[in-house]
Amino acid sequence: MEENEQKMKEKSTLETRHVSIEFPGVKALDDINFSVTTGEIRAVVGANGAGKSTLMKVLAGANPTYTGEVLMDGQKVELRHPVDAKKLGIQIVYQEVDTALVPTLSVAENIMLNEMVMHGGGMMKWKYVREEAKKALARLNIDNINVRTLVQNLSLAQKQMVLIARAVRMDCKFLILDEPTAPLSTSETEELFKIVRRLRETEGIAVIFISHRLNEILEICENYTVMRNGQIVGTSAITPKTTTKEIVEQMLGRSFEENFPKESCEIGEDLLKIDHLSGADGKVDDVSLHIRKGEIVGIAGLVGAGKSELCKTIFGAYKKTGGTITLNGRELKIKTPSDAVRQGIALVPEERRKEGVLVNETVAFNLSAANLADFCTASFVNRKKVNENAKKLVKDLEIKTPTIRQQVRNLSGGNQQKVAVGKWLSADCDIYMFDEPTKGVDVGAKQDIFRLINDIAKRGKGVLYASCEDSELLSLTDRIYVMYSGKIVAELNTKEATDNRIMNYAVGGTES
Amino acid sequence: MNTKAGIDSKKVIRFFVNWAAVLALFLCFIVFSIISGSKFASGSNVVNILRAMAINTVFGIAATITMAPDGFDMSAATLASCSAYAFVSGYLWFGFSVPVSILFCIVVTMIMYQMTMFLILVCKIPDMLATCALMFVHQGLGQWYIGGGAVSTGMKTSWGADPARTNLSAGFQAIGRAPWIIIIMLVCVGVAHVFLTYTKHGRFLYAMGGNREAAKLSGINVKKYRYLAGMITAVFIAIAGILVSSRGSSAQVMCCDNYLMPSLAAVFVGRTVGGAEKPNALGTLIGAALVSTLENGLTILAVPYYVLPAVKGAVLALALIAAYASKKEN
Repeated sequence: MEENEQKMKEKSTLETRHVSIEFPGVKALDDINFSVTTGEIRAVVGANGAGKSTLMKVLAGANPTYTGEVLMDGQKVELRHPVDAKKLGIQIVYQEVDTALVPTLSVAENIMLNEMVMHGGGMMKWKYVREEAKKALARLNIDNINVRTLVQNLSLAQKQMVLIARAVRMDCKFLILDEPTAPLSTSETEELFKIVRRLRETEGIAVIFISHRLNEILEICENYTVMRNGQIVGTSAITPKTTTKEIVEQMLGRSFEENFPKESCEIGEDLLKIDHLSGADGKVDDVSLHIRKGEIVGIAGLVGAGKSELCKTIFGAYKKTGGTITLNGRELKIKTPSDAVRQGIALVPEERRKEGVLVNETVAFNLSAANLADFCTASFVNRKKVNENAKKLVKDLEIKTPTIRQQVRNLSGGNQQKVAVGKWLSADCDIYMFDEPTKGVDVGAKQDIFRLINDIAKRGKGVLYASCEDSELLSLTDRIYVMYSGKIVAELNTKEATDNRIMNYAVGGTES
Repeated sequence: MNTKAGIDSKKVIRFFVNWAAVLALFLCFIVFSIISGSKFASGSNVVNILRAMAINTVFGIAATITMAPDGFDMSAATLASCSAYAFVSGYLWFGFSVPVSILFCIVVTMIMYQMTMFLILVCKIPDMLATCALMFVHQGLGQWYIGGGAVSTGMKTSWGADPARTNLSAGFQAIGRAPWIIIIMLVCVGVAHVFLTYTKHGRFLYAMGGNREAAKLSGINVKKYRYLAGMITAVFIAIAGILVSSRGSSAQVMCCDNYLMPSLAAVFVGRTVGGAEKPNALGTLIGAALVSTLENGLTILAVPYYVLPAVKGAVLALALIAAYASKKEN
């Protein structure tokens, strides 16, 4: 305990000066000057892609290519490897806790793993390992985790605690928590906050807290740093007067880069109706929405709000636990994606290369993969029909490929996406769901994809468009639902919606 | 959803999955004892079972060590055949003493295992594929060395010379008989258990098996430890080869090749024992015991020997069902 008191007394400061990171074509971090002192709980906020995670990775040593300087107590330090950061007392708990844990080993071993590696001796001192692990958990005031349990039997929140225990067990002056609350329930979040406050008070640790949920930030943090487009907009103290609205304004404040002229098409009667849908292990919570013929409906929300989960639950890829899905007035029973496709629902998933296209197959085969049966004669694939269909779609969608026999892996991201969309066009579905279709797509191809989606709507189909790019939603859709933590928190008419309003709902704020 | 009864029934299911292999073993004993009486439940028959399971267990231990860091070795049995050729040829052809022959055999096996390590660690071929290819390499190289015929008494060397010895000593043959074969088995299990459970090296192997990336970021030298696992595996493979040839009083062509599947079965059956959820030495022992007890009991019941593989297969299938039942379907 003496050690802890010592730690509390000496204040330590971590500072970056002119830190930049450039990826081909983009400045992920642009001349960042950031500083944090022990004993502080600091929030780092920003829209998706603002550079929060990139900056944290720099501090954790996981982004070795940065330029500029990092200083610890005024002394220049090099953070070129995770070990460098750990040695300096900078510990990070990533959102994906499973990447840092060994599921088949016990809690004790997971907490003590680094130490076991660093300190000599060949034999396991089981008693010592368990005692020390228990002490580490006790420092966080956690008593409901048995150190003998295998980590794979823990809940997500408990796994997070194990990682925090591991972090404080080592020399820890700066603890970075990367979106720790995203997967947690309200009570679990409360528990985490207690621990964070305790760490600050009893150990004098600085906690850097990344979250999209601004309400939480107002509750727990003392200062917040806003990032936008790879730059720091500013750092301010949180006072009782600080509002989420204020922070949102700082997070945005950008002009629309590209605008797609929305062509209006006639909107008909209700096509798809979803009532009280829940599922995907609680990540979709009592969602009701409807889509009319010829309508493009947007789903807004930040990463992790449950947009992808909603699409996949409707599509039958995630387990539905409640609610109904009605198409054309008929209730659908969808248990698997195959059911969904048969009943006329198509999904263009987010992870294009993993889920959307068959990368090792040809363009022609991909374009007929969704309804191969239509291209068959007595179960034999009719190559002529496949090729005709492919040629027509390649022309219609302006897919840039030398031949239709080209493997999809060799196409550019935008053209792969067109193939992923194209395969559903020939299948002629009623509802088309798009999950982040413009991710990693260049501007030109983006416009093509927008046009494609507009054409689908013109044909009287319903479109569900999930994206965290608000500007896209505002220019493309007719109506927008905003999701927050698995729930739909607002329904906006696109004409009346603004970037600001959407973001306000997406971070858990209310209309003011 | 999480009512108390729900949690309790989950716990009960967990318990049964964790101890299924042990319960099955007891059940077999009781059932066979009731049906066959003293024919089954006698001291000499228990020794029979132990002797029968010994070779499987040692092969299983080799597989356990490989599989702890999530490795896999399809070529363990074919390599053991080579070890057997080396052991018997060392003794008969070159006239080494038994201890020197054993040492010779272990060294040869470890040298041959460098090939496996080269393909896996340097060429970065997935374990399964690399060892699949090596299976054929081992068969070919081994038989080239023994000239296509068995290594046994009364046979010339593969280059046509007279062997240095014409008889097997009592010491040579004792290795493959009770009680030595049983003692060797138990020592192997004990050593592997201590290594995997009570040394850091063993825990690091498990850490690699559970999450290679996390292990690496904790500072574990994963390549070094994969190599270490390989070398220990090689030693156990050599011991298994020695047991087979001593028991058979010769090294027959491909004498060990059939031990691969039963040994893997033993590891899989043992995985869940006691909630370990990873390959472990004691579990492997129990897995091997279960398979051998079933074989022994059914043989006493006059079930034809050619039906027995079906029983082994069924045990493996049940073990796998238990192992994967707790996993989420997706």
